[in-house]
Amino acid sequence: MMRLRWLGAAAALFVLALFAGSRMRRLHEPRFPSLSELKAGPFAFQDAAMAAAGFRAPAADLAWIQLLQYAAGGVPELPDRPGHPYEHLANLSLRVTRLDPSFHRAVLYAAGILAWFHGIERPDEAADLLNEGMHRSPEQPLYALYLAALAFKKQGDTDRMVALLESSVDLPDTPTTMKAILANLRQSRGEYREALALWIRILDNDRDRSEHARAKLKIVELKALLARPVPKKR
Amino acid sequence: MKTIPAVFAYTFKEHVRHKAWLSSALFGLVLLAGSLVVSALAQDERARLMLDLGLAAIEAISLIGVVFLTVNLILQEVESRAIYLILTHPVKRSDYLLGRFLGTLSAVAVSMAGMAVMHAVLLGLYGGAAPGRYLAALACVLGKTAVMGALSLLLSLALTSEAAAMAFAVFLWLLGHFSSEMRFLADRSGSSLLNTTIVAFSHAAPDFARFNYRDFWHQPAPPAEWLMWTAIYVFAYTGACLALSVQLFEQKEF
Repeated sequence: MMRLRWLGAAAALFVLALFAGSRMRRLHEPRFPSLSELKAGPFAFQDAAMAAAGFRAPAADLAWIQLLQYAAGGVPELPDRPGHPYEHLANLSLRVTRLDPSFHRAVLYAAGILAWFHGIERPDEAADLLNEGMHRSPEQPLYALYLAALAFKKQGDTDRMVALLESSVDLPDTPTTMKAILANLRQSRGEYREALALWIRILDNDRDRSEHARAKLKIVELKALLARPVPKKR
Repeated sequence: MKTIPAVFAYTFKEHVRHKAWLSSALFGLVLLAGSLVVSALAQDERARLMLDLGLAAIEAISLIGVVFLTVNLILQEVESRAIYLILTHPVKRSDYLLGRFLGTLSAVAVSMAGMAVMHAVLLGLYGGAAPGRYLAALACVLGKTAVMGALSLLLSLALTSEAAAMAFAVFLWLLGHFSSEMRFLADRSGSSLLNTTIVAFSHAAPDFARFNYRDFWHQPAPPAEWLMWTAIYVFAYTGACLALSVQLFEQKEF
């Protein structure tokens, strides 16, 4: 009997582990989509291997870098057809959010480009992305805000759309690209003073470091536009 | 019990003086520096990438270290016949095994702490991370390392082959991150026998996915009570594996 005492201890500890495990599961459930929901494509093996080994957040981070590479000029694995810019942007963004739904910026960034980037104008794709983001992370307020801005855009109510987007500029999750899009939108509407204020806010924010070089150029350009004499009305 | 500290100190010194331990710690530091470079590509998500990649590097190095060290812990001593010399002394087999395991885990924890300090300094340069949450994430990484170490030790004693023990350890690591998928499969399976088998497997395998704090850092934080139950789970699972290892070790004839 003494020879089996360690076996008895192991059984008792294993029962305790089962109980603690069930309490652990009841108190907190990580919110990750199942592996079958990961996006298929040229990076599927990389994603599945990393997620299976318990590295979902780093997998989402690497997917984000690949998304940025694609947006900056394309990746060889996903060539765009001629006349279809950013064809794979929505899928690459879904790839990130299905690896880690808390990576809100991937959805907001892609939705911003698809809905408001000059020459893209694919608001329906942007709305689908935002809807999936909202379904997976309902606590993120920017999804609903962008969807509302998209609704105003569809109605042609640009004033309310711009006002709504501008209300989100200081929120920590707002992508820098979205701020730049908004500033350009203001400039295209002839609202130079507002556009200048936005670029100054971008330049003052450390998190927007990636747009600082462009902000400096834009500030000079907008100051020159504002200094121009206003033509007299006859 | 009295001999555990002596075995612990001897094992700890043995590992810290070993080249493999030093090179793995240095490799971890190189990986951390790599996360600094990679995160530079991430635009405004640099801090997030540095946090995720750094913690992942710490965990990967600790995992590789603990599996490699514990698998060889007893088998090498048996092969070199050094174990005969030790067991002729008044050392209980259970004390010897526990001292060896705790010494190994402490050596891995020290290298982990070194990497964590460097990581925290790097994070501090880019906005830092909440200290409480960072410590909780590190504690969970250490918990996973302890469970994997105990499992590897058990496998090395049960299989008596280094390669087979390492392969099974990696298999169990992956299985531990599949717990929710396994329960999903069990729900979908039509047969009750298959369902019971899958559920039994999912309970027997360590539930790493549930305390992978590092991975769900950016999601809403779990309550403090969860951390307590996680600690109990780690102690109980590690203890169960160690008790089984002692049972096997006591029955071995040298």
